[in-house]
Amino acid sequence: MAPPAGQIRPAKYLASFVLIVVALYALVFFTGNGSAKPKLGIDLQGGTLVTLTARQEDGAQPSEEALNRARDLIEVRVNGLGVSGAEVVRDGNNLVITVPGADSEGAKGLGQTARLAFRKVIGQPVPAGAAPNPSQPSSSTAPSSGASTPPATPPSQSAGQAPPSSGAPQGRPAPNLVAQPSSTPPSSGAAPSSSASTPPAPSNVDPKVAKEIQEAKALRQSTDPQVLQQAALLLDCTQPDPLRGNDDLDKPLVTCDEKGEFKYTLAPVNPPKEDTQTKADDYSNYSRLTGEDINNAAANNNPNGTGYVVNLDFKSEGGSKWAKFTSANVQQAVAVVLDGEVMSAPTIQSAIEGGSTEISGKFTLKEAQNLANTLKYGALPLSFDSSEAQTVSPTLGLQSLKAGLIAGGIGLALVFVYCMFYYRLMGILTILSLALSAVIIYGVLVLLGRLIGFTLDLAGIAGFIVAIGITADSFIVFFERLKDEVREGRTFRSAVPRAWVRSRRTILSADAVSFIAAAVLYVIAVGQVKGFAFTLGMSTVLDLVVVFLVTHPLVAMASKSKFLSSPSLSGLGGAAREGAAHRAATTGKTTAVKGA
Amino acid sequence: MGSVLSRLYVGNGAFDIVGKRLRWYITSSIILLVCIGSMVFNGFNLGIDFKGGTKISMPSVSASGQSISTGAVEDAFAKAIPDKKPTAVQAVGSGASATIQIKSPALNIQEVAALKAGLTQDTQPQGGQSAISDSAVSASWGGEISGKALWALFWFFVAVTLFLAFYFEWRMAVGALVAVFHDVIITAGVYSLIGFEVTPATVIGLLTILGFSLYDTVVVFDKVKENTRGLLGLTRRTYAEAANLALNQTLMRSINTSLIALLPVIGLLVVGVGILGVGTLQDLALVQLVGMFVGALSSIFIATPVLVDLKMRDPKYIAQARRVAARRAKGSGPQPAEGIESADEDALAADLRKEEAYAAAASVPHRTAKAGDARRRPTGKRQR
Repeated sequence: MAPPAGQIRPAKYLASFVLIVVALYALVFFTGNGSAKPKLGIDLQGGTLVTLTARQEDGAQPSEEALNRARDLIEVRVNGLGVSGAEVVRDGNNLVITVPGADSEGAKGLGQTARLAFRKVIGQPVPAGAAPNPSQPSSSTAPSSGASTPPATPPSQSAGQAPPSSGAPQGRPAPNLVAQPSSTPPSSGAAPSSSASTPPAPSNVDPKVAKEIQEAKALRQSTDPQVLQQAALLLDCTQPDPLRGNDDLDKPLVTCDEKGEFKYTLAPVNPPKEDTQTKADDYSNYSRLTGEDINNAAANNNPNGTGYVVNLDFKSEGGSKWAKFTSANVQQAVAVVLDGEVMSAPTIQSAIEGGSTEISGKFTLKEAQNLANTLKYGALPLSFDSSEAQTVSPTLGLQSLKAGLIAGGIGLALVFVYCMFYYRLMGILTILSLALSAVIIYGVLVLLGRLIGFTLDLAGIAGFIVAIGITADSFIVFFERLKDEVREGRTFRSAVPRAWVRSRRTILSADAVSFIAAAVLYVIAVGQVKGFAFTLGMSTVLDLVVVFLVTHPLVAMASKSKFLSSPSLSGLGGAAREGAAHRAATTGKTTAVKGA
Repeated sequence: MGSVLSRLYVGNGAFDIVGKRLRWYITSSIILLVCIGSMVFNGFNLGIDFKGGTKISMPSVSASGQSISTGAVEDAFAKAIPDKKPTAVQAVGSGASATIQIKSPALNIQEVAALKAGLTQDTQPQGGQSAISDSAVSASWGGEISGKALWALFWFFVAVTLFLAFYFEWRMAVGALVAVFHDVIITAGVYSLIGFEVTPATVIGLLTILGFSLYDTVVVFDKVKENTRGLLGLTRRTYAEAANLALNQTLMRSINTSLIALLPVIGLLVVGVGILGVGTLQDLALVQLVGMFVGALSSIFIATPVLVDLKMRDPKYIAQARRVAARRAKGSGPQPAEGIESADEDALAADLRKEEAYAAAASVPHRTAKAGDARRRPTGKRQR
């Protein structure tokens, strides 16, 4: 007689499962760093998570290129924090910064674009390393004191990087600004990596750093021209600048240009506060202009010759300030200062009315575009809003992790009790399968954390816990089918292959729906939702692996063992009695015994 | 014998669910109306993720082991940031996880830092300043998550409709979708009615209910499909009766799967509420608890009845129902619907033969027949 149809060799399936597990854990232990720990999210290990959302004023979709560039720039800033394990990940229009550990709050300011301001150049720029020009602050009356801290929120638009390389002024009237000849050629691409620290967050700053900033301010932002001159002499452009992004807009500033080749002495942006009234119309020193006053900037063909120019357009108020400032400072240089660093210092050729300005210089297209973008967006090619900023203390993270594990444990225990009660022996198989499923999931988690940087957060743990139900469901579909078959009068043994063929279809289609749900969620959703969807989808797939390679073979094995297949152990007693009644009825006997 | 439990267990069609479908339609319409009404007039209790704001959480035990009162925290807040007021200060959680949660309008980075420093100084929480967690959310963030979630919902429906229409048929896809809509609206309605706080985690949970509700429905429909294969050629029972039988046969399975899926969620809820007090776990668990419960009911009481109504608009099935009625009228009266029986014996046999062929192809040596194989009972069934 042929073997019952659908008969399988359980050992073969189980062996292939074992093979998978062994291979998985071989990968876990012998590749990468060999640590068998999944990557935990910030909410489980403590740290800071900041979600920045790109905002375009016209609501348009930011370009891929701009988003990727912003990601790279912010990554450089994050690395500047000196915290290990920090990451910047792009998620649609969002950049997600994660910095693990307790001292991670510095990450909150990283998304702010650097501050752009216009400052009048006092005297001549001095080559770095050379002696300062003694005739320096001749034209400037340094303002009296006026300490005000920089604004809490820096301008959302600010900018400036590539200084135009430029030939001599071309003598034509058209260019309103001519980039200073001494400026270094623009570096295309990368913005200053050190624009990381953003305006004041004094309470977040390391006291040592705070002290350095104070000292630098006292010297290089002094209101005393003598001190400034001294500062210009002492300033070393090769050293990192503690004032980067921390400079006070209401005070003069001695600083370097982007390349560190020239030192500039610059006038304050705004007149001192207590003097506002008397200096209301004094634009001879104060531009009063920051990146917020810029409406737009674009690179265009030079209408008067070869090469490209940058057209700068101010907002209406900015335009009138600009007009007053330029008319008071014709033939003077104005510095475009980004986070305290001179990006470009063109000379004002004529008074500029109406806010439309042309910066000329022998720009290549790329250089012009870079300068325009920097003026428009600040150091980052996009403006970002902080959508979500959270700092989780390591203790809270640990508690959450524990709570998640306890929740999973309780869930498993409840399922276990229910299965034991309802399915007896097969309940044990269910638990065994769930445990093996957990073994696989853990291994895959560790690997995914290593390979694609998948992090397990609290929502992800919840996804797994919910998936316990779905995994167990597959077994139930199979077992209930088995019952049906036994009820129809088959023996446990002959029922297994038939039940399997039928339930397999149901399990596949039900899992497919579940997987579609998870996949759609994963592709479209943002934030925590992604983690949840990922774990849910992953456990759905692994559920199939376990049902096919473990549960079914085990049940098939149990069905062949006389002891294990006894009705009292398999929980099929009721169904078997029903089956007996069914047989009795179909074979025409009158002794219909109803089972309960 | 006739107890509900044994009828459930046996699953021989003892519950007339499809026949009484008007009753379920009316019940669920009333519930739906109440839910929609509440959503329209009552709205939702939206969390800070939708309104924007800052949330601070700190241990509620001080370094010296004393518990910190919410009053002390409020005082410290007022001292640190005089010009802003917390919207809520509450103690949540228990044991080592007991925390004090402060909710306030949006604070900037400096204010948060000042507040943390102030709280550390005034209340001396265990673990110092680094034990204080904070989370600031912009007003648009929750909207963004929900906006994406709605898109996910839309694409989910499209994908699932295609899948179901392809795998089953369009009527089943419609039946399943009606049930899912029903679940989502009722779950959302329960949130609106009771006033549970809606957070992004709630929205996530709501989305996964869809998957679960459909999972349940697919299991039932699979059986319906099986029971109604070749139905048109027979006069034994109508489509409605066959569907009802399928429902009964899968009833225990539906209840079991729902229960088993709910058990871990209950675990989540216990931990979420009992230990952490607030947060992702609790929000997720709550919405799933509500949703799964409604989902289990709808796959039984809504999905299949809707399917039957759609099917019975097809002239072929109407004609078949008439033939069944005619046969019963003229014949031996209503035959008791036989308990368990499937119309897909042929399909199953084919599948099994295929399996066997695979097994043979995989060179599984045929087992020598044991004595046991000969001891077949005379079941009247075909011997293999």
